[in-house]
Amino acid sequence: MSTGGATLPAPRALPPWLESAVGQGLALLAAFAIAVSAGALIIILYGENPLSVYSAMLSFAFKDVTSVGTVLSIATPLIFAALAVSVCFKGGLFNIGVEGQFLVGMVTASWAALTFDFLPGLLHLAAVLLFACFGGMVYAAVPGILKVTTGAHEVVTTIMMNGIAISIVAYALNGPLRFTKAPPGQNVDLRTDIFEPSALVPDLGHVFGVGGSAHLSWLFPIAIVASAIVWFLFRRLRLGYEARVVGSSAGSARAGGIAIGGVQIKLFLISGALAGLTGMQQVLVERGALVQNYEAQLGFTGIAVAFLGQNNPIGIVFAAVLWAILSRGETALQLGTNLPREFVIILQGILIFSVVVVYQVAKRRLARRELQRAGAEVGLRDTATPEDEALQEA
Amino acid sequence: MSDERGAGRESAPPLVVMEHVTKRFPGVVANDDVSLELRPGEVHALIGENGAGKSTLMRILYGMYPASEGRILLGGEEISISSPRVALQHGIGMVHQHFVLVDPFTVTENVILGDEGSAILDMETAQQKVADLAQTYGFQVRPSALIEDLSVGEEQRVEILKALYRGVEVLILDEPTAVLTPSEAKDLFTNLRRLRDDGKAIVFISHKLDEVLAIADRITVLRRGKVVGETTPADASKAKLAEMMVGRPVLFRLEQPDVEIGEPILEVEGLLGEGKLNGIGFEVRTREILGVAGVEGNGQKELAEALIGLRKPAAGTVRLAGTDITGWPVADIRNAGVAYIPEDRHEQGLVLNMTLWENAVLGREDDPPFSGKTGFLFIDRIKEMARRLVKLFDVRTRSINVAASTLSGGNQQKLVLARELDTSPKLLIASQPTRGLDVGAIEFVWRQILDQKKEGRGVLLISAELDEIYALSDRIVTIYEGRITGEYAPDARPEEIGVGMLGAADTAEAS
Repeated sequence: MSTGGATLPAPRALPPWLESAVGQGLALLAAFAIAVSAGALIIILYGENPLSVYSAMLSFAFKDVTSVGTVLSIATPLIFAALAVSVCFKGGLFNIGVEGQFLVGMVTASWAALTFDFLPGLLHLAAVLLFACFGGMVYAAVPGILKVTTGAHEVVTTIMMNGIAISIVAYALNGPLRFTKAPPGQNVDLRTDIFEPSALVPDLGHVFGVGGSAHLSWLFPIAIVASAIVWFLFRRLRLGYEARVVGSSAGSARAGGIAIGGVQIKLFLISGALAGLTGMQQVLVERGALVQNYEAQLGFTGIAVAFLGQNNPIGIVFAAVLWAILSRGETALQLGTNLPREFVIILQGILIFSVVVVYQVAKRRLARRELQRAGAEVGLRDTATPEDEALQEA
Repeated sequence: MSDERGAGRESAPPLVVMEHVTKRFPGVVANDDVSLELRPGEVHALIGENGAGKSTLMRILYGMYPASEGRILLGGEEISISSPRVALQHGIGMVHQHFVLVDPFTVTENVILGDEGSAILDMETAQQKVADLAQTYGFQVRPSALIEDLSVGEEQRVEILKALYRGVEVLILDEPTAVLTPSEAKDLFTNLRRLRDDGKAIVFISHKLDEVLAIADRITVLRRGKVVGETTPADASKAKLAEMMVGRPVLFRLEQPDVEIGEPILEVEGLLGEGKLNGIGFEVRTREILGVAGVEGNGQKELAEALIGLRKPAAGTVRLAGTDITGWPVADIRNAGVAYIPEDRHEQGLVLNMTLWENAVLGREDDPPFSGKTGFLFIDRIKEMARRLVKLFDVRTRSINVAASTLSGGNQQKLVLARELDTSPKLLIASQPTRGLDVGAIEFVWRQILDQKKEGRGVLLISAELDEIYALSDRIVTIYEGRITGEYAPDARPEEIGVGMLGAADTAEAS
């Protein structure tokens, strides 16, 4: 056998993981720079000063702790939704149905909040959160099972089920969950009854001096924990490993004996559970009830945020915060400039676009460099090894 | 196959001269100062290992890549070949390994495609022209036949006709025999000799040395992008050519381990499935290598996949060491002691964007040493195992933490082999185990397969390369249209086996 083993220490400066991390960081910065400059162009076309517009947006997001708290609370549901998207995506599944799963999660959570109001304190809340996850899981299991048993494509089925979910919310609000107690003599918008305080997620903001208007609750740290769990799932657990194999090469997964269908259904269930938590910020923190004019579209925004965070659970946290800063910037625009608020949507679009493109370019460059290095080293070593000489004598 | 060589026409001026051609890809010099002369009336073989730069050089000549440096002279004048279209205008044509034909079209329609002449098609004239061309060079092909009805050998003739129709004087053939049976290869050689005698210059890219010695008038050997020598079949031998290609002597016949063949380990009976398996039956014994020879596409892939559990057979039984494993899921068949080297290691062997250690554990990630009951992966143990395998099988890599895509083909195959053999299987299914590998890596893989006999394992070797079948097998069966058409001793003549590969053997003697 060749002396010195088959692996060679790299003589160059950076270890590969650091090089890859630095490369990714640089790619992100480059993408951000491109998006900001493209946005500046649009601002100039509108006859405004890009510097003042951007500084207005930034300073509005960071003007005080309550502002920062607001950014984090906007980011909270986006983290859940984006994690839900990414879990499926790693296994090669495109779960467009996070939207529907989150709507159903709000319904089941509301039902639990109203039904289990006899439970004391945190048990009540725990039951509500569990039912939020459960509702999302059940709703995600349907496309998962259809995919595995009949081959029905998850994109088609989940899109269809998103439409159904809207009706489920409407039915719940008009039927079984419709409010029974209204303040006398007032017209009330369609909603459920107001939940007991024990069903609500406690406020976290006041610990840091964040004003109550920010709605920063314990849900934010729960979202961070969720992203850590997702990271752990894909890096340390067999299921996550198998999911990545399935997502990268279904043929090799099958030939290796991995039960692809089982892995896919499990991913859908995990994804659905995370999706189910997406609606809790509005139901259990901001409103204390399920209301008719709920904030929709969070599931779709989750797809964008997952892309922005490159489906990496840590990247998703940062992407969600960035997204929240931009969203909050909308208000700043209306207050201080003549730009329409849609500018933020355009900027978010450009950002995703440039991140996706720049990452692809960076990934290819990294891969090519890796190949070159591998090639160069194999070339170096391709001179006869002792083993080869032994062969010659044989 | 030792008949008259081409006139050589030493005196004739070369048709095409490539001077000091260098081609750089990022990080790789594919061709390094290569000079080459192609003379009319010669078959010029271009040989070398994978990645030696044969195909790159010819793609430059055919206008598919621009050269980084150097020039190309045609009839003494420098020309610039910017695209295949320009190459064809200069009389240079190339037939690729993978044919580009339109299946529902006729031979004539395919031949004139892209060179139809006027807007109104004159099919009668074109048909006549194609028929005349075929006649002139002795090509057995009917101009009005549909491509989908043709055999691979006939399709190749159509590809060559396409080039001739455009009046090429230089014809480049990239590994033309890779897809042919021995007898089809003979027919091709007959055709090529006619073309050569007509004054064409033919470039024959190959790494099959027997063929090169049979057909070539001149041989240029490339190694690592450089010309390492030019010779003629009269002055060269197979061993000498191999040494020039690899840079060290190569053994063509490995010593068979001296072991006694044992009890049946795999018994297959009447396997049916999806039109590709039509009642296959055979057995493999312990310490035995059974070679399955056949032209590709006759059910080999389906057979291997049925045995490992990737396909459910419609009928028939598969027994492993006496246990009926028919229709079991892949994981159970693997656990019962079957290892699988797929014919496409990218499709069914490796996950290219994942690391070497992640690939090394694929299929065993739920085995006790590598993960716990709770589903945790024991990454340290997996990495330790991966390091051991990389060292044991001499997988050349910088680290086990790099993606499998950074490995060369030979090293990727070593990794697959290492992983599969580390499970101590009872039976190894090796499907085209050396496809796309160069001579040095082939030798390594062959040695590993032979070593399985010493371990008391049985091996089912499925290969389209007769060389490989001969080098390893204790017994040979031929497969044709999903049936076993003959059984042969390891010293049967290639012609006999060739008959079985075409399905004509007396099926009564099949086991």
